[in-house]
Amino acid sequence: MLEIHDLHASVNGADILKGIDLRVGAGETHAIMGPNGSGKSTLALVLAGHPAYTVTRGSVTFDGRDLLGLAPEERARAGLFLSFQHPIEIPGLRLDHFLRAGYNEVRKSRDEDEIDVLKFDRLIRAKVKETGMDAALTKRSVNDGFSGGEKKRNELLQMTVLEPKLRILDEVDSGLDVDSLRSVADGINRLATPESATLIVTHYQRILSYVVPDAVHILIDGRIVRSGDKHLAAEIESRGYDWVTEAAQPAPPSVAPTAGQS
Amino acid sequence: MSPQATPEAPYVAAFEAAEHDGAAHDPAWLRELRRDAMAEFTRAGFPTARRGNEAWKYTDVRPLASTAFAAPAPDDGPGELDLSPYELPCPRVHQLVFVDGRYAPQLSTDPPSEGARSSHVFFERGDGPIVGRLAEAAHYDVPLVHEHLGKHAGAAASAFASLNTAFVRDGAFVSIPDGVSVPEPIYLLFISTGRPEPAAPTVTYPRVLIVAGRDSSATVLLSFESLGDGVYFTDAVTEVVAGPGAKLRCITLQRESTAAYHISTTQVVQARDSAVSSVTIDLGGSLVRHDLSVLLAEPGASVSLNGLYLGTGNRHVDNHTFVDHAVAGASSDEVYKGILDESSRGVFVGHVLVRPGAQHTVAHQVNKNLLLSDEAEADTQPKLEIFADDVTCTHGAAVGALDPAALFYLKSRGIGEAAARALLVHGFVREIVDSIANDAVRQYADEAVTAALGTG
Ligand SMILES: Nc1ncnc2c1ncn2[C@@H]1O[C@H](COP(=O)(O)OP(=O)(O)OP(=O)(O)O)[C@@H](O)[C@H]1O
Ligand SMILES: [Mg+2]
Repeated sequence: MLEIHDLHASVNGADILKGIDLRVGAGETHAIMGPNGSGKSTLALVLAGHPAYTVTRGSVTFDGRDLLGLAPEERARAGLFLSFQHPIEIPGLRLDHFLRAGYNEVRKSRDEDEIDVLKFDRLIRAKVKETGMDAALTKRSVNDGFSGGEKKRNELLQMTVLEPKLRILDEVDSGLDVDSLRSVADGINRLATPESATLIVTHYQRILSYVVPDAVHILIDGRIVRSGDKHLAAEIESRGYDWVTEAAQPAPPSVAPTAGQS
Repeated sequence: MSPQATPEAPYVAAFEAAEHDGAAHDPAWLRELRRDAMAEFTRAGFPTARRGNEAWKYTDVRPLASTAFAAPAPDDGPGELDLSPYELPCPRVHQLVFVDGRYAPQLSTDPPSEGARSSHVFFERGDGPIVGRLAEAAHYDVPLVHEHLGKHAGAAASAFASLNTAFVRDGAFVSIPDGVSVPEPIYLLFISTGRPEPAAPTVTYPRVLIVAGRDSSATVLLSFESLGDGVYFTDAVTEVVAGPGAKLRCITLQRESTAAYHISTTQVVQARDSAVSSVTIDLGGSLVRHDLSVLLAEPGASVSLNGLYLGTGNRHVDNHTFVDHAVAGASSDEVYKGILDESSRGVFVGHVLVRPGAQHTVAHQVNKNLLLSDEAEADTQPKLEIFADDVTCTHGAAVGALDPAALFYLKSRGIGEAAARALLVHGFVREIVDSIANDAVRQYADEAVTAALGTG
């Protein structure tokens, strides 16, 4: 589904990703962990096509297509979804209007008919219920004045409406209370199908006990320095990252460490 | 001296002709008002100076001054007019229509029970709104008209206001008696036929007087529309008097032709505990200038001023607002937003004066401009003069392009560039459109704004 090969990316002249190799197959869930500033969000944003980031080397294929050659909206229409670590506030743009626009654009790209306001209203009410979000939020401006947890739930709602093939979740668990974490995790699991995949960026083992990963990758300084199964997450939680860095130390710095394969 | 010797001369000649022709039936005070205004206009002249002319520093009216505008010819009526594009989406409306400055009785409607406009009784009613012609009101010498017309936006305002007053014969007179609430909108529609060349450019002087009595409540929509895309000049003056406790919402929708000059002067005077909401939406015109002044004359008065201006082509829109906190305990809240595309230019000068002793004043002002092209330009200038110490005054200004982070967010949900931009632009204007409380007027304005924005 997703194949990242030797991906290098920079922002404002600073090299952030320094050779990422990663394969995520259909039906799989991969977790990415790593210290602050290691490049996790950069990776997510590069995959989504953020214009501020420049890919300087490497390739990414998504469903057999050259992902890097697609505009952000084309990636979304192809089934890639990024749940942002910091969802942006857009005063004046009503959430339901925004969602309908996105939903219809995706449908159009699949040669499906756009759906009208009434039908969409019904759809969104069902999805809101499914996500456990406060329905009143859909009549408010996108993320405008939403609490941290509400913003994350809104990302989940958008994902539920758009039904993507690849879900990239950047710290979807941060700022959520225990119950919300549970329900967001349930939401993520509900969307999982054998044809779709999940890439989940997190700092905490907790969400991974609900959304169980097939592989865990540790990203440090723009490289995946270690990959393992779900137990790696627990190990990170109890021991931190230092030991990983030390363990990775023997590799000469100029050579990219072996990337994890699932 | 030839009549073309100065830009003002043709107006003097037109004034003399008009006074000579049909002014005899007007009350003496009105004729005097006009004559004084003409004298003031000739004394001041068009504000064309490009130096030492602070109030017109950003706006060059020389092209206007050098164009020969004539009064619309009397037989130049539009014939059959289809007003359906201008209909408000509500069953009941008090509507006055003027076409090229002339009252159009066949187009002016009222809820059936309101009765004939043209009677003494009509102007004396106390149970419902009086939405009538200034010419009639003057004819019956309605005391409120005598008391207020030209007293608020008189000679002091600008040469353009004086010019309007010099030619005041008709217009709209709106009076809400004490304690009366008018649920349906009052709609004052000024249509210009806007004939293109070879028709001569015309000038009209729309005039509105609104007097809201004690504890009354009403919504008034002033709309300036054009049927053609010709050159003409609208020189409008509106005076608004809000009595104690009155709640008045005034919306101005300016959709003149893209070649038109639109200059307006509005003076609002507010008594104790009155609440006025003003929303000015500019979607048309070539050169547009509004002078909007609010006098918060008594404690407890509050005003909200909202504005939206869209610039395309070479449009130039200049909003000058002045809020005079003359007494303690009044509040003002102002939000103006501009969307400037192509080579358009938006100007906002927001003057707030807090006079000595005007303690506990609350005054907020914001001006935001969205530049959609590299050639578009915005000038924004807050002018806060505060002579009291116990006040809350804030102001903010912003000029910038669409937020790239917001654009990316939309695109990441599958929305393409053009649609994403349109959604963000609509989001930007939402706040202003939503400041219109009346459902029908808001819906109407929303559609006008959406149409003017094009996509979306
Ligand atoms: N626009 C930018 N300009 C300059 N540096 C940037 C920019 N965006 C990101 N960076 C830098 O890139 C590095 C990686 O940032 P990134 O957001 O990918 O980290 P992260 O792993 O997601 O961290 P966190 O766990 O804190 O979310 C950081 O050092 C950050 O400061
Ligand atoms: Mg991050």
